[in-house]
This record gives sequence, structure tokens and C-alpha cells, in this order.
Amino acid sequence: MDELPGRAGVVVIGAGVIGCSIARELTRYTHDVVILDKESDVSSGTSKANNAEVHSGIGEKSGTLKQRLNVRGNQMYDDFVSGLNVDFRRQGLLIVITPRSLPEGLARYSPGFLCDFLNRRVLPRLIVRSGNRKGIPWLTVVDRDEIFRMEPNVTRDAIVGVHDRTYGLVSPYKLTIALAEHAVLNGARLCLDTRVTGIRTEGGAVRAVVTDAGEIECGIVVNAAGVYADEIADMAGAGGFRIHGRKGATLIFDREATREYVKGSVAEFRITGRKKRTSKGGGAMPTLEGNLQLGPTAIEVDDKEDTSISGDEIREIFDRFHYLLPDFPRDSVIAMFSGVRAPSEDEDFIIGASKEVAGFVNVAGMQSPGLASAPAVAEMVMQILHDLGIPRVKRAYFNQARPTPRMFADCERAEQEALIERDRRHGHIVCRCEQVTEADVVNAIHGVVPARSMDAVKRRTRAGMGRCQGGFCTPWISEILARELGVPRHEITKKGPGSELFVGPAKCLLDGASRRDGDGGAV
Amino acid sequence: MSKVRRPDCVVIGGGPAGLAAALAASSAGLDDVLLIERDIELGGILPQCIHDGFGSIVFKETLTGPQYAQRYVDELARTNVEVMLETIVLDLAPDRRITAMNSRDGLVDIEPRSVILAMGCRERTRHQVLLPGYRPAGVITAGAAQRYINIEGLMPGGKVVILGSGDIGLIMARRFTLEGATVEGVYEILDHPGGLTRNIVQCLNDFEIPLHLSHTVTFIHGPGRVEGVTVAAVDRERLPVPGSERHIPCDTLMLSVGLIPENELSKRADLRLDPVTAGPLVDERMETSVDGIFACGNVVNVYDLVDYVTHSAEIAGRGAAERVLEGRPRKAPVTVVPGRNVKYVVPQLVRSFERDIDFYFRVEHPEKAVRMTVKAGGETLGRRKAKMVHPPEMAMIPASVPGGGSEGVRELVVEVAPDAE
Repeated sequence: MDELPGRAGVVVIGAGVIGCSIARELTRYTHDVVILDKESDVSSGTSKANNAEVHSGIGEKSGTLKQRLNVRGNQMYDDFVSGLNVDFRRQGLLIVITPRSLPEGLARYSPGFLCDFLNRRVLPRLIVRSGNRKGIPWLTVVDRDEIFRMEPNVTRDAIVGVHDRTYGLVSPYKLTIALAEHAVLNGARLCLDTRVTGIRTEGGAVRAVVTDAGEIECGIVVNAAGVYADEIADMAGAGGFRIHGRKGATLIFDREATREYVKGSVAEFRITGRKKRTSKGGGAMPTLEGNLQLGPTAIEVDDKEDTSISGDEIREIFDRFHYLLPDFPRDSVIAMFSGVRAPSEDEDFIIGASKEVAGFVNVAGMQSPGLASAPAVAEMVMQILHDLGIPRVKRAYFNQARPTPRMFADCERAEQEALIERDRRHGHIVCRCEQVTEADVVNAIHGVVPARSMDAVKRRTRAGMGRCQGGFCTPWISEILARELGVPRHEITKKGPGSELFVGPAKCLLDGASRRDGDGGAV
Repeated sequence: MSKVRRPDCVVIGGGPAGLAAALAASSAGLDDVLLIERDIELGGILPQCIHDGFGSIVFKETLTGPQYAQRYVDELARTNVEVMLETIVLDLAPDRRITAMNSRDGLVDIEPRSVILAMGCRERTRHQVLLPGYRPAGVITAGAAQRYINIEGLMPGGKVVILGSGDIGLIMARRFTLEGATVEGVYEILDHPGGLTRNIVQCLNDFEIPLHLSHTVTFIHGPGRVEGVTVAAVDRERLPVPGSERHIPCDTLMLSVGLIPENELSKRADLRLDPVTAGPLVDERMETSVDGIFACGNVVNVYDLVDYVTHSAEIAGRGAAERVLEGRPRKAPVTVVPGRNVKYVVPQLVRSFERDIDFYFRVEHPEKAVRMTVKAGGETLGRRKAKMVHPPEMAMIPASVPGGGSEGVRELVVEVAPDAE
């Protein structure tokens, strides 16, 4: 991790997918970029707790910035990830029209043939036409039989569907890590565990970013601080907008029970009676590794750090998907997570150079489809930054690729043998659910953006994401982390300071022993 | 492909089941037995079980876990069973082909004449029981806590709330207390304890740790490290009773909410599994639905005593030896059906009545003064009486068919009924 430098050309606040996309884009033109984040790893906020969907933009209201950047971002994705060594797959979205699609009042008081006509003929065409107008190509109407051929587990109530082939899947945290590493490989500096406490301005222009680790002089600040973007903007006097937290919870199912349970994203089309604009409302989708995921919910929260999941939310997800996927395996949940979206008051993205403070650029109001829009957001912000003085000429020596060590589980037999030949630690599986080797973990710990906590190792290697949820691998991985970082084992954390796995070495709570005495090594 | 080995028998897992199975296979006449263990030492979970209570049936004395394991490790050293430590089995095919790996030999192919599965079980996690709340550090399963304190020399928590009254949870309530931690209480969602009575007495009562039946944890507070939990009473449907919530500050939530047989390899080998036990269907000599693949111990179902694990493993070891040495084709099996107040029975299948068979089973609900029987049609093959049966304590009935003939037997029924006398 980099020391906080005394000055920089551009400071990007926030190492989520948006901040890292912008930073990576910046390094094509200048190396003089510093990324700051208060957490101990990149992708520790909203970006990590995301359903991995790259939306097409079909669900967004026409005329919004969000809708335009979503469509553009989706189209840019293949180029965006090229060279990053990150999996991206266009798995498609199947929008299913059911008897519940029409508003309840209309369905109840209209004759059956009319509802039938609307559902069967009108709704699918409306969806296709509205999508085409938004610039989404290749939308096709699929009949009932085709729905079941595509997704055999969907409710028999399905009437007709619309297939959107442009929907994609990308791991949001792997993408963010890759973008951060790509930026660092191209000269950016990444300062984690660094909290911004103020923005110093002089004569209506940005002069420095003040942090708990010191001050960085700079002329340009990009505010990509997610749920805290309003507070950061206020520090500079470049605010005037409010970000409120909206929590989304997702359930992940055991891959063994749910592989191919849905082949792509599936969502039920519903016209709700009330006009309420919220974040995109969830669906069923696979992960890139093949687990079923259901969610997310959308609940307004006061606390921007409220990443809890309540019993009501679990029940809500169960109830909601019980209709769309009547037989989904309720007893195969292996993980639950929630994240806090960062919507603005009018629900649209807020992207632009501050009119009050020269050199201060807000990139705020980020919520779904933020992941899908990231390439287009970076492109748009880059134009703003050019106007603020960042050269328009690309650097000659930009490194296009971000090389990554091969993971054991991703390899065929011959390649696995070669990996073991090169590094014997590949012969030692530490996470048996996901078949992660000791060498995989060591590589993550010594990566370009090093993993320094259990969760950071998990995000890079999948160790601990399987059905035992770390039950077997935590002892191994905490030991490897302690060894490689050169710290006592009881200082190893789940996700940075304040999340220590242990209270101290054994006997530390008995008379005379102090919590900090000695190492907690094997006895 | 120079690495292919063709032993008589491969035992997967070096815990109590694997140790006893390897020994039994060897003493029943197999020369080339290979025992594969993932960890750096044999014994499985036993080395971390430093409390006593092991061996009362097998050795007629109570030993600690390490002592119990050491007896088998010592005996194994006197045989020619080959042990591969720090080796993981990556794959098991239905034709018994095994892919194993370690850092010394790399990937190794093995084509054994028989396989004994002895991988044990794993712990249920908070997500599997859908526990709401944050995801902080300090939510830990009982077996993992035991490993940290007894093997790794690390203290996982200072103020502990325990959810679930399974045996390991009770043992760890005492262990945490002896290590200077405070155990606030044990919360059990059911209206009866999950662990053995002797553990309730020795681990909770003796240390004045309260046991709250019909209670559960409804929220885990975080976000960094556990800051507390909310507990609540539950109604008959096991749903929290509104208004009964109580906040308990703590830094650790330890879960003892059940064990699941470890059957990833069984699934790869296409073994038929019992949906109730979550383990493979086995016959009277612990052979699975796939010819030449045997299973024993907690892979088959979660036993409550290591002695039973050992017993099942010895049967499997002898069975594998018979299979290799005699090699006669298998007969079609008779099904064993759980009858009144019986949740499941092991073995689930019987192919031969030549030897006496011990039927292990669990009841569905507690019952006093019962008669337990194994019946074939109208004929009673075995019976036992008990003053009390309850789900956490496994029951067993030895049964035999006079003369060993099984002609005409279609189905066996194991049942528990009120004792009329």
C-alpha cells in the first residue's frame, strides 16, 4: 500500500467501482493520480454487495442521465474489461409477463379477454418498443414454450416473455480490484485506510485534500465517495445534494443445488399502481460461478453503514420469488449479504464539475445501474477532466494488460500439474469447497493491491465462499495471512481494523496474562 | 500416467472412522490398504476433543479424544497400512477411480479395488439457519472455536452467547469458561436440549451457565466485530414472540446448530443419498449403492458417540475386505423402513442375514417406556425396551434371522411403541 504523497495531479476519493474506473481511465493520460479510501481494501462499500448484473438500461426511465450512461456503458463493456483478466459474460435477461403483470385494479375490473390481450399482445410489444427507443438492440418476444425451454424452473403462470440478450454478469469486486490494479500498474497510487476529513479550497478552487494521514496538495478532486459523496462535497462547499442510504439484501444458494437453476437473469414484469421510482428491483440470476442468487430488496435506511439483513427481508425475498420460481430450494441458502446504495434525491446520477469550486468534480448518486454504467461514467468524467486541464493525448507507455496469476481451480489437469511443478504450494488445498490452494492465497496477499484481511482474500480467491462458509479454511488462511504479513495471528482481521478474528492468544483471559502477550502460534 | 496405483482398498479420511476402517480392512486380510488424510496428523476431530467421555463402549473406559485416537494410530503403525498425510482427494468417480493431490507428489491417480468413505461431517453455518443481522467477525461454529482454543492456541472470544445446545456447543461452553471467558447463556430453539444429558449436567449446570429452551437469536449486531445479539422466545412454530426480545452485549456468537455429513465426494461418485440422514444409503456391511464403495462414521449419519463411529467403520473395513477377497456378486437388497416414532434407520438396506445386524436409529420425538422392534412381516427379528428415548440419543437394536435365511422377506420395519407391560 502506498504512503500518502504530499501532492498529486488528481485525487480520486473512493475506491469503489466508479472511483477505480475513473482512476484507470485517468492513467491513460497521466500517471499523477491518487486514489483514497477509508477502508482497508478496495471495493469495500456498495460495490462489493452487488448482484453482479450489467443491466442493459431497459428498466431506466427515458431521458435520465442514468439511462443514457447505462445503455452506453453496457455497449462498452467488452472493451472495458479487455486486458483486465476479469470474467464477463452476457447471460441475458428474460422478462416474464404473468397474470400479475397488469396493475391489480385493472386486472380485477376488466374482462378476461381484455387482460389476456393486453398481457399476450400489448405488454411484450410495449417493452420491446420502449427498449428499442432507449437504444437497446436485439430485444425479442418469446412465447410460453420458449420461456420454459430457456428457463424450465419459471412459474407455469408465465404468459409471454421478452428476452434481452445484452444483459451481462461481472463480479463487481473482482472488476473493482482489477481496475484498481490496472491503475496502479499504470502509475496511480492507492492509499487505503485513509479517511478524508476536509477539502482545502482557496479563491474558489481546490488546493488540497485533508485526511487523517496528512494532506495532499492537488488541483483536481474527483468525488466518487458513494454513500458519503454528499458529505465530501459539502467539505469543499461543492455540495447541495443529499445522498440517502437504500439497502439491498441478496440470498446466495449452494451451487450444487442450484447450478443452471436459472441460466440467465429472470425478472417478473409488474406494473405497480403507484408511481414510485426506486432502485432497480431485483430478480433471480446466476452468479458467474453458477450459484442461484435472489434479490436484492430495496429498503430506505438512515444509517449509511447498515449492511445488516433482517428477518423480514429474508421472508420478503422468499415470498417474492416463491411465485416466479415456485420450487426454488429454500433450504440451500449458503450466504446472505446486503449493501447500501447511494441514490440522490431525484434518483439520477449527479456527474459534473462544481460551479462553485474549480477543480472539484462530483460523481454521485450512484446506485444500480452504476456497475453497468461505470465505463460510460468514466468516459464522461474524463471529458470533464480534460476540460480541467488533463492532457487529451494518451500516454505512449500505457500498459494495456493486467496480468494475474492462474488460479488452480480454473485450470485443466495438465495446467494444474504445471502449476504444482512451479510452486509446490499449489499442491496444498486450503479451501476445499472452492478448491483454493495455498499458492492462490499467497498470490492474493502479494498481489498488486494486496489482500490483508480474510474478506480481501475471499474476494480475490473465493476461499470461504463455499458451503462451509470458511469453517474449514479460516484456520489455514489466517495462519497464511499472519505468516505472509509478518504479524501475530490474533491481529488478523475479517475486514480491517475493528474486525479482529481473535481476542488474543489462548490463556489471554486468565489471570496475569495480557492480551498482547506473545504470538498465538500453534502449540 | 506412470503414477497410477492399484491398492486393494483406499480409505478416505483419517479420523476415528477412517482409522478403524483401515485397521479392520487390514486385519481382515487386505495387504495393500491406503489411508488418505487431508490434515497434518491422523485423528480427525479427536485431537481437539481434549475432554473425556470417549471409548466407554469400545474400551469400557473413558478416554480423552487424543487418547482414543492414539490407540488406533499406534495399532495402525503395527500394520502395513500406508498413510498419506496432507493429501486431499479431489475426485472420486463411480468406477472408484480417485484423483488425489499433495504438494510432494502433485496429482496422483489411484484405481483401488475398494473404497471406504470416512470424511466425517461439517458444521451448519449461520447462513444455513438464516440468522439475520450483520456479518461481523466473531460469529463462529463450535467445532471451529474448539480447534482455535485447543489446537491453534488462539482465543476466539471473551464474552460468548451460544446458539444451539448440540454436544460440541455444550463442551465449548465449559471450555470457554475454563479459559477465562464469560458464557452468557445457551439458547436453544427447540423445547428440549440438543445434546446428551451428561453434557448438560457437566458442562452447563456445574458451571452455572443458563440454558434457555424455546429461545433463538433474532439479530447479530456488528458491523466489525460482534457487538451483541438480540435473543427472543419462540412460539410453537419456532417464530419469535413479539415483545420478548432482549439485547445481550457480547463479542462472540458461537453456533452449535447441527452437523451435516460431508458427502461432496459421494455425490461425485453418484452414490444414492438418504434425504433424511444426508448420507449415502448403506447395507448391513456399510456398502453404498455403488459396488465396492463403502461408507462409515459421520459420512453416513451423524452419530452421537465415537464408539458407534468406530463400530460402523469396523463393519465397513471387514465388508471391503470381503468384497475384494471373495468378489461375489451382490444380492438385491431388502429395504429397512422407519416405522412409528422412528426418524431414520442405518443401515437402510439389507442384502444378507448371515450375520447379526445392529440397527441404529433416531426417534422423532421423546417418549417414555417404549418397546423397540425390528420386524419382517409378522416376525420379530430383534427387540429392546427403553425407559426413555429422545432424539439426541441414538438407539440401537441388534437383530438376527434364525438360520440366516432371507427368503420371502420384502421389507423390514423398525418401530418404537409404548410398552404395554
